[in-house]
Amino acid sequence: MKKNGLYSKEEKLFQDKNKMYSTQSVKQIVYSTDVRDFGQVAKSIPCQEACPAKTNIPGYIRCVYEKRYGRAYEVNRSANILPGVLGRICSRPCESACRHGEPDNGQSVGICHLKRSCADLKPSSHRIIEGLYAPTDKTVAVIGSGPAGLAAAHDLASLGHKVVIYESTDKPGGMLMWGIPEFRLPRDLLMIEIQNILRLGIELKTNTAIGRDITLDQLKKEVDAVVVATGCVSPRMLGVDGEGLENVHNGLEFMMAVNAGQTPYVGDKVVVIGAGFTAVDCARSAIRIGGKDVSLNIRKTIEYMRIDDTEKHEAQFEGIHTHSLVQPSKIIGDGKKVTGVEFQRTRLEEIDTPPFRMSVPIENSEFMVPADSVIAALGQSSNIAAVSKKLGNLKKEGHKTGIKNVFAAGDFVTGSSDVISAIAGGRKCARHIDELLVGEKRKQIVVRCENHATTDRPRSYDFINKVEMNTIAMKKRLSKSTHEVETGYKEKQAREESKRCYLCNLKYEIDPLTCIYCSACIDVAPKDCIKMIKNVPVNSDGTYGEYEETGQWNQVLSIAIDPANCIRCGQCLSVCPMDCISVTKTELIEIDS
Amino acid sequence: MPFNDHYVIIGNGPAGNHAAATLREKDKDAKITIISDECVPFYYKPKLTEFISGTLKKEKLMVNTLESYEEKDIRIRLGQTVEKIDPDTKSIFLKHMEKMDYTKLIIASGGRQRVLPSMTSFEEHLKFVTSYSDVMEYKEQIKKAKDFFIIGGDLVGFRFLRMLRTIGKNVSIMIYPNAFWPYNLTDEMLDKITKRLSKYTPDVIVKDDISSIESHKNGTYQVATSKGLEKKVDMVFSFNGLMPNIDFAKGTGIDIDHGILVDEYLKSNIDSIYACGSCAQIYNPTIKNYTVSIGWPNAVTQGKVAALNVLGDQKIIKSVGRKYFDMEGAMIKTTWWEDIDDES
Ligand SMILES: Cc1cc2nc3c(=O)[nH]c(=O)nc-3n(C[C@H](O)[C@H](O)[C@H](O)COP(=O)(O)OP(=O)(O)OC[C@H]3O[C@@H](n4cnc5c(N)ncnc54)[C@H](O)[C@@H]3O)c2cc1C
Ligand SMILES: Cc1cc2nc3c(=O)[nH]c(=O)nc-3n(C[C@H](O)[C@H](O)[C@H](O)COP(=O)(O)OP(=O)(O)OC[C@H]3O[C@@H](n4cnc5c(N)ncnc54)[C@H](O)[C@@H]3O)c2cc1C
Ligand code: SF4
Ligand code: SF4
Repeated sequence: MKKNGLYSKEEKLFQDKNKMYSTQSVKQIVYSTDVRDFGQVAKSIPCQEACPAKTNIPGYIRCVYEKRYGRAYEVNRSANILPGVLGRICSRPCESACRHGEPDNGQSVGICHLKRSCADLKPSSHRIIEGLYAPTDKTVAVIGSGPAGLAAAHDLASLGHKVVIYESTDKPGGMLMWGIPEFRLPRDLLMIEIQNILRLGIELKTNTAIGRDITLDQLKKEVDAVVVATGCVSPRMLGVDGEGLENVHNGLEFMMAVNAGQTPYVGDKVVVIGAGFTAVDCARSAIRIGGKDVSLNIRKTIEYMRIDDTEKHEAQFEGIHTHSLVQPSKIIGDGKKVTGVEFQRTRLEEIDTPPFRMSVPIENSEFMVPADSVIAALGQSSNIAAVSKKLGNLKKEGHKTGIKNVFAAGDFVTGSSDVISAIAGGRKCARHIDELLVGEKRKQIVVRCENHATTDRPRSYDFINKVEMNTIAMKKRLSKSTHEVETGYKEKQAREESKRCYLCNLKYEIDPLTCIYCSACIDVAPKDCIKMIKNVPVNSDGTYGEYEETGQWNQVLSIAIDPANCIRCGQCLSVCPMDCISVTKTELIEIDS
Repeated sequence: MPFNDHYVIIGNGPAGNHAAATLREKDKDAKITIISDECVPFYYKPKLTEFISGTLKKEKLMVNTLESYEEKDIRIRLGQTVEKIDPDTKSIFLKHMEKMDYTKLIIASGGRQRVLPSMTSFEEHLKFVTSYSDVMEYKEQIKKAKDFFIIGGDLVGFRFLRMLRTIGKNVSIMIYPNAFWPYNLTDEMLDKITKRLSKYTPDVIVKDDISSIESHKNGTYQVATSKGLEKKVDMVFSFNGLMPNIDFAKGTGIDIDHGILVDEYLKSNIDSIYACGSCAQIYNPTIKNYTVSIGWPNAVTQGKVAALNVLGDQKIIKSVGRKYFDMEGAMIKTTWWEDIDDES
């Protein structure tokens, strides 16, 4: 075995109780719980670190490259349970963090589009993989069938508990069903992925609201634990005169109506107020049901809109104008119906604690905008009392509430967020409940390290342009609100896009004991990735901090590759005369404790 | 050694240069540095079209020579791009990883081409005329090419079209009603413009859209429109106006909207940072709104005012707005640009 990087410390690793060698395989594999390895993975794989569910992104992108679409789907599903759904509507925090999008590296990888490709391209006979535990005889009630509830239910069921979901409406899915419009998320696909969860023996009771049809106290008596995942369904109001006029809609209700197949009146001129997902979906829906001049009106600037760039782009593309730095001061009507909105201009001002930019209205800056309809989409908040007046003291950590054995997850706890955060929350909540019910931690996250020959990506892959998503023609888009706008990558396009991923899960390391400091690697490096360092500080949590660089040879402690700047091009490896650079594949995986 | 102020100016256009000259006039000792990602001294952007056609020589295109910066003791750093600003440490980071400290910073980074959302799928095939380097890249190609396609049609676009016709090229133009005109063009206006342009080229296309642009191996392009028109051309140019060039300021704590948001004194939300010229979105107390003004004369005035205010003055930039137009959905009030004379 090569004595380098990870492996040069082999003997130490054997004695380290935090690390175990796998005996199942001839491959050199280490499962580590060393905090330094977690720190390294977080720094190395920015996309995965940014994903609330910690999806193994380079792992599944590599599978797409290898045309193993079914496997790619399962890699996704093991972290985020609804890959086809998220591949369409995820808020994509991973893409903003992707190393390929850093200055001079081009554009970030189309991580989300590739996720969709896993779902689209997997064989029709694809086999879902579930690691099922023996039944525990415990029952858990999940209130709400949105992504948080579904994720919690799925994990609890696979851990052997009996799960019953209570849903107040007639269909499962939460905001996936009632909020997000069909032109972004087809309902047949949504139902297939929900069915795949329910198939684990989960009972779904629709049209049953807790707090209305059954009280939380009653429910608690019947089960061993309860998860409240009722989301945020109470709309925030504008709080200005004229809000009660006819044709002034509230964003969520408007979307629910459109998603139920109705066509609320919008007229020609539609003024949408708000800067989040709901506002943009309302605007895009309004233009599909007849609005001619649809505007989005936001209090701050476009930079602060809580949606991803694709959404901004699509809205603009469909002809929706965004007016920034404005806020409504009055809704004007003819006594019955709305006829316009009076806006005030705003400016940004700083609040120190916590640091935050807020908008402040400018005095006497009012102006009028005519409107046939107004959609106020200012977001939603949770309605705790609707579930139970006794409920309170919600904790994000541990997902506990003030009531024993009643847990909470998703938007209900965090306030309006996004689907992937709700799923991550639901899954974490399930882990806590499982620990309570069986009295031990049954799952554990470890860093799996495996020796890897090298990257087999030619450097030319780094210069491939991002493959644009295919969309339907504008006419077809606007003709019906259920026509899905994006049509997914063709297989060839998916493969092309998959080539672009640097595979940041590969860790390049220089063995300082073998290195002769010839600096050949530094000469060929395309980035500021190989550094002469004099010290590596250790953070308070035990992880490694930023390398302290030096330009003076007499201070050099080691030559080291900075995992945060390395683009895994392999140039250094190919020129090193001492063969002292190693490549290790590092992955976060969940194993039985 | 006495401590001298270091005024750093990002941008070597009219705003940046007039700011630098004013600073030097009023403060003989300060260190003044202009940074530009272009590799030429200050030049007349509005004359780029004449330069392409060959009617204007390079010397005539230039406003400043390198010596003139030296005479004023203004340091000029050409071919260097500002990548990031750190207002906390009062430093800027250049692309080649150099860090530079400033006492006061003037952002005068101008404008860049505006690409409409509908154009992103074929953006790679489009050419723009926004800088000297653009022009140097295409000048020879333009000379050799025969057939051109122009999308959009702002003022520069129409000037470019006339230039191409005078040197005997075939030009098709598709007018986008929202190509950064003072207004979204009404049918009546569109008619008038079509008539006027038809004097120069028979091929004026309106009320249609590009459906695709594909490149052929021999370097030509196939342009297809929604209404089924197909054209094979040598070069495709887009003229849809300019928008503030401020990507490097995103996420740095400086308030931005379409441009850098500044008050009537051209100061941003951060005390030591000012902005002027096409990159600034300036608060206008009369109309109580922020406006971007593209245009040479505006840039000159704003550069001077920004410099005076950097030095402690409290000059309010005069409300130059005369017309409203809609840029990317924002109602922006501006004077339209003017024909410019040579600077003395
Ligand atoms: C219009 C719109 C568009 C959005 N677009 C996106 C997007 O593109 N990407 C993204 O990531 N996020 C998006 N979001 C946000 C995302 O949908 C939510 O963050 C996510 O659904 C929250 O999941 P959840 O499970 O916590 O709650 P929810 O999805 O809100 O689910 C809560 C469920 O509980 C049910 N319920 C409520 N009260 C009771 C009760 N008393 N008893 C029984 N059941 C009850 C509700 O009917 C609902 O089914 C959007 C939201 C909206 C409104
Ligand atoms: C082809 C053309 C024709 C025109 N014709 C006319 C006309 O006839 N009349 C009229 O009034 N106006 C005209 N204009 C508009 C006018 O040229 C501009 O409004 C004016 O130049 C704006 O000046 P400015 O100083 O704000 O910015 P600019 O002149 O755009 O200068 C900005 C400078 O900053 C540099 N820069 C940007 N970002 C960075 C960075 N990150 N790092 C370092 N440097 C950076 C740029 O390279 C550039 O040198 C025309 C513009 C064009 C493109
Ligand atoms: S290049 Fe690939 S692995 Fe690296 S951050 Fe981007 S998507 Fe993740
Ligand atoms: S593989 Fe080596 S040369 Fe390539 S970016 Fe990483 S450290 Fe630099």
